[in-house]
Amino acid sequence: MPYRSADRRRTLAAAALGRTVQEPGPLPFEGESFHAVSGTVLDVSPHLIVIDTSEGEEERLVIAPWATAWRGEAVNPADLPRGANVIIKALRSGRVVDRVWADITRITGVIQSIGTEGKDHTVELYCGPHRGRRTIVIPYRSSGRLRVRHPRFEPGYLFDAIGVREDGTARARLPATSQPPYRWTAVPPPPSGYIGVQSRISGTATWSDTFDDGEQGVAYPMLERADTACDDTGVSCVGLPYLALGSMLNVRNVCAGRTSLLPIVACGCLAGRFCDRCLECGTSPRGRILELSPSSFVELGGDLTTGCFNARIGMG
Amino acid sequence: MLTTIAAAQLPVVFVLLTAGTVAKVGTVVRETEPGMLSKLGPAVLVPERWRATAMLCCAAVELLLASGLLLTGHPFFRWGTAGFFAVSTYVLWELRRRRPDAGCGCFGEVSALPVGRRSLGRTMVLTAMSLGLLLTPEIPGWEAMAALTWTHASAALAGLLLLTVLSPEIEEALARLRHRAPCEQRRLDPATALGRLRSSTVWRSHVGLLSSEDPVDSWRELCWRFFVYPGNSHAGAPIDVVFAIYLSGRHPAVRVAMVGLDGRPVATESLPESLPISAGR
Repeated sequence: MPYRSADRRRTLAAAALGRTVQEPGPLPFEGESFHAVSGTVLDVSPHLIVIDTSEGEEERLVIAPWATAWRGEAVNPADLPRGANVIIKALRSGRVVDRVWADITRITGVIQSIGTEGKDHTVELYCGPHRGRRTIVIPYRSSGRLRVRHPRFEPGYLFDAIGVREDGTARARLPATSQPPYRWTAVPPPPSGYIGVQSRISGTATWSDTFDDGEQGVAYPMLERADTACDDTGVSCVGLPYLALGSMLNVRNVCAGRTSLLPIVACGCLAGRFCDRCLECGTSPRGRILELSPSSFVELGGDLTTGCFNARIGMG
Repeated sequence: MLTTIAAAQLPVVFVLLTAGTVAKVGTVVRETEPGMLSKLGPAVLVPERWRATAMLCCAAVELLLASGLLLTGHPFFRWGTAGFFAVSTYVLWELRRRRPDAGCGCFGEVSALPVGRRSLGRTMVLTAMSLGLLLTPEIPGWEAMAALTWTHASAALAGLLLLTVLSPEIEEALARLRHRAPCEQRRLDPATALGRLRSSTVWRSHVGLLSSEDPVDSWRELCWRFFVYPGNSHAGAPIDVVFAIYLSGRHPAVRVAMVGLDGRPVATESLPESLPISAGR
């Protein structure tokens, strides 16, 4: 059955059930709000960065003296190469650069095969029916720290790392989580016993780079397979309720105290397979409850290189 | 005879008030995460920051009335009980109109099913029972209970059975025994929901407006499944007709709305808001 649009679904559901239609976006916050700006670097100097946004507009942002950048490792913002794809956490209504992530990519999938290329490893990953397969490289110098957190480096086990895109190839640099000890098809079931319906669920929120540039939204694991053409969805070790593409979620970054209303725009079938915890601020409850788009993740106060934050979600 | 039946309902009203108090307090106390009350009436009708207070106030009034009925024969508590249930009936009616997805919250989170005719019928019966108490001698409830005869006990049992039949919470409790997960977490076949929709009165009332009987979109959100059909309004304008079917219970609620292409709801012209259907499982 065709999926029309998230906005239309929200309007129709609100009309049928007498709800109020809510607009997506961050909820009011006492401190300074963050803005995510993404695009391609056109020019950069120690004090100014010029980028070409995904809308085709040229944005000029002032680089704050305390600003830092990451491109596989910590770098000076002024050293970013022209042509790099960047996601910028900006302050002051999106005009002042606070943090830059350049050519960053999230590599999440199921290990299909492992090869070698000199001293480096090449890994083929299955990233879900809608994301397909991708081949990534684990450079020799990063393999140690990645293998420590991924002890079962064999087909059928999950892999989650943060890396950089270089010459069209994704190169893993940092482990994003500790690898679950089970095969991806053997996710532990949610806690048994009738515990009633929770309107707020806590767990781990991560990000994924499979969203469009600048897109605001989340990928949610518990969708009906018949509605989404995603045969791997509907699995989670958390007792998540079934929702749909278009449902509005209230997502709170417990660590930063920031909250946004975000629509579900993608199937988070792989996120549901991770029964891990985030240690960003204390230990989160077990289970990955959603994946955010990079822009939404940054605006909620998350650090893309950390890869997760402790989250609490509810219906918007 | 009528006085005997009315007097026999005092223990029933007392038990219902006490159970309502305990369940509401339990729901508020157990709510470790905020927001649970956003699905339960009458709290859902007040702003979010007052929802817990509203629920607790409701529980406090129930406790006061239950205590008054038990300990004194003062008519204030009997009138108060009748007034409380009469107001509850109005509030549930209003809740059903304004928030058809919210449960009545009569017994806390167990009463999460959308308000239907049975919930409304139950408060009406309780109002009638409370009014009946005004006909009985003004003696404390404990004295009346101590003097219960077999006739009284039979009438009380009959009243309790009637309330049980009118309680959708019983089905919810049975579902909790049958299933290990609440409706929101159970995998449910869309074809079953479509079958229930097509056997409903709401469908028959609106099928004439549809330009196609094949849905153009369908999705599930929590315990509701939505089906969208293209159609034309009474004025002939193209619209989307959206049906929402509650996925749990033998008599699921079916809601409908007509929405113009500009996103504005189209008036339904005196069609009923919701009609339950009979669908066995």
